[in-house]
Amino acid sequence: MNPGNELYMTVESEDEFIRRSVELFGRNGGRKALRLMFAADERETGAGFNVYAVFSGMGEDVFDILRLPIRENGRGPGYKSLTPHVPAAHWYEREIADMFGIIPEGHPDSRRLVLHGMYPEGIYPLRRDVSVQDIRKKIDLERPDTYPYMKVKGEGICEIPVGPVHAGIIEPGHFRFSAVGETVYYLDPRLFYTHKGVEKHFEQIGFENGVALAERISGVSAFAHSTAYCSAVERMRGITLPVRARAARTFLLELERLYNHVGDIGNMCAGTGFAIGYARGASLKERIMRLNERLTGSRYLRGVNHIGGVSRDVLENAEETLAEAGKIKEEYKSFMGLIAGAISHIERLENAGLLPGKIARNLGATGVAARASGINDDLRTAHPYMYYDELVFETYMRTKGDVYTRMMIRADEVGCTLAIMTTILKRARGFSTGPLHAGPSAGVPPLSSALGWAEGPRGSVFYFVKSGKDGLSPLRVKVRAASFCNWPLMPFAVQGNIIPDFPLINKSFNLSYSGCDM
Amino acid sequence: MLDLQFLIILLFSPLLQGIIKKIKAWSQGRVGAGVLQPYWDLVRLFRKDMVISKTASWVFHAAPFITFLSVLAASMMVPVISVKGTIFGMGDIIALLYTLALGRFFMVLAGLDAGTAFGGEGSSREATVAILVEPMMMLAIFSTAIAGGSTSLSKLALSVDIFHSPAHVLALAAFFVALIAETGRIPVDNPDTHLELTMIHEGMLLEYSGRYLALMEWAHYMKQMLLFTVAIDLFFSYGIAGGGHGFAALSPLYYALKLLFLAAAMAVAESSRAKLRFFQLPSLLGGAFVLSLLSIITVIMLG
Repeated sequence: MNPGNELYMTVESEDEFIRRSVELFGRNGGRKALRLMFAADERETGAGFNVYAVFSGMGEDVFDILRLPIRENGRGPGYKSLTPHVPAAHWYEREIADMFGIIPEGHPDSRRLVLHGMYPEGIYPLRRDVSVQDIRKKIDLERPDTYPYMKVKGEGICEIPVGPVHAGIIEPGHFRFSAVGETVYYLDPRLFYTHKGVEKHFEQIGFENGVALAERISGVSAFAHSTAYCSAVERMRGITLPVRARAARTFLLELERLYNHVGDIGNMCAGTGFAIGYARGASLKERIMRLNERLTGSRYLRGVNHIGGVSRDVLENAEETLAEAGKIKEEYKSFMGLIAGAISHIERLENAGLLPGKIARNLGATGVAARASGINDDLRTAHPYMYYDELVFETYMRTKGDVYTRMMIRADEVGCTLAIMTTILKRARGFSTGPLHAGPSAGVPPLSSALGWAEGPRGSVFYFVKSGKDGLSPLRVKVRAASFCNWPLMPFAVQGNIIPDFPLINKSFNLSYSGCDM
Repeated sequence: MLDLQFLIILLFSPLLQGIIKKIKAWSQGRVGAGVLQPYWDLVRLFRKDMVISKTASWVFHAAPFITFLSVLAASMMVPVISVKGTIFGMGDIIALLYTLALGRFFMVLAGLDAGTAFGGEGSSREATVAILVEPMMMLAIFSTAIAGGSTSLSKLALSVDIFHSPAHVLALAAFFVALIAETGRIPVDNPDTHLELTMIHEGMLLEYSGRYLALMEWAHYMKQMLLFTVAIDLFFSYGIAGGGHGFAALSPLYYALKLLFLAAAMAVAESSRAKLRFFQLPSLLGGAFVLSLLSIITVIMLG
């Protein structure tokens, strides 16, 4: 992890902000990806409100971070919207408007994104002078929700509302389909039913406790989240991790990818009603999760990461783990043989949910969804962190962008993940004497900031942490989970497909509801 | 006494459903619920209160009774373990199929009645599937009827011990596809799904709860057993009481074994493949239609 790869640049005018962003983003997202965009309330330090945009690409290990100080005008803080020029900014800007009341002028979609009807106008939860008690007092559960859904008009258009309560045990989300017969003409998803004030909470619990909170943001990406958070704080404190801790984190990141990808491939079988495939995928996933538990004491790999290192030596008994990994590999091979041989299943996957590469780039897709639509983007090689720069491995990219391609990207990556795990386990004897934890170090310097990141199973996870004046607690923690980037792709992927294929397409993206709703 | 043989279908149809579910669970490497689970489900539903939409009309209230009674009436026309004594001596297969169609018609109406999107989707899909299945099923039955020289199920059951002619093999293949479609199984429909957007049969029932749902579910179990019984009568009636073979006392045993065989075939066929994309159903059902057409031609050509 190159400590000097964050290039901050303060832009003075809004036009300059747009010009530089477009230059970095390129036409249609051709150059660098918009990794995250957020606002921070730094009035207590005299810096006012600021909007940050972070760009980076595959070519060089550099994050270009633009900072735009926000002007106050008569109607409150605002700036010229970036979305018309950089479409990937669209959700970020709506989120900023909801949470800080900083209005992106000229944004094509001025509806609220995060806050639902029960939040009255004029309540901006992430402003520093708004306390949780204030928010609680002002919330009105009876207040009607008047969200204007997109309407499709015309003969034969039927509106189908689905959710937020579903028949299965899944998270809440509302989907408004406009369909002609069985064919989806337009889908308007409404999410953010699970807003719980995570980012606000980070500001109040200090740096150390933040790890436990980060691990709880998204269950199946717990380790990617805690790694990203820890590395942000470690970068602020200038901690260099011992090799044994870096290897252990890398091993667990890959283990997390493994059980997710296997589970996702199995879950797609549920989408097509292929019962044997689903059952086999679930049992293999269970086997990997039991390995998780044996190595870390947690099926979801929680409680291992700490700022400065790891708390358990997951690489001890490497021989035993290696043997289990071998068995998992065998079982996985026979599982994929079953899937590949199930013609009726594969037939359903092909050409369903096509996501064109141009849309994926423009909207800032990440992870499997991006790599299946021709975007060769993987943080493990773009910005090597932990132990990845000492490993030789392949990243995969395919171009078709349908459900089948997304499944195959996962299958490709499982092979690579198993190879990485094996390599680390074989090298484990080499590090077994080193420390698991960096020694005592200085605290967090006041008013410092850093990015932390990890390539999770769903895609990139980013944390931006900025410390307050006392250096004891954060002034701002921004969490950007992979699902936040990929949810907006759904309406494009389902367009023109038939309604019964929606669950399958949804599963192929494997998006989290709560995990993108801080 | 033999007039009461429809009680077998009434009472044992949940058991058959339980057995199919059990075999499915085994084929997927799961333990599965006990074979008596459908009975407990019915008991549970009969005890529960109902939640009924304010917009529901009389159709919604009438449909469970009509559906249940139409299936019950249809099962009175079927020789289950004996060819003697189907009530009123009716036992006509065309009457049977259209008695079932009455129940389906009301179920489709009930799906539309509550005015929810899923019910409407389910009804529209059910009607689409029904239109495709009905002619195919009729043709398959006609071919056995021509070969047997009657449309009475009792006479048909007597005319063929076990399918032997090419016409019967073709008709059986078509009938099996019709069975899958009529009982709402993969690849046509997925009975175990929780995904509202993909449902057909379950979609129509989503608004039902409590006693009405119990009636609907029970009717569905009975319809499944009834159609299995028709298949047995048409294609392998060997051992049925009143026929030429075996002892009348062994007839229930033969019947149980044949049902078990069909249940296993159904469960394995269902577990091992994925559901078809909805708009590809016509190719499956159309293929079965061709089989039944070939069957009829074979009967006529071979005499």
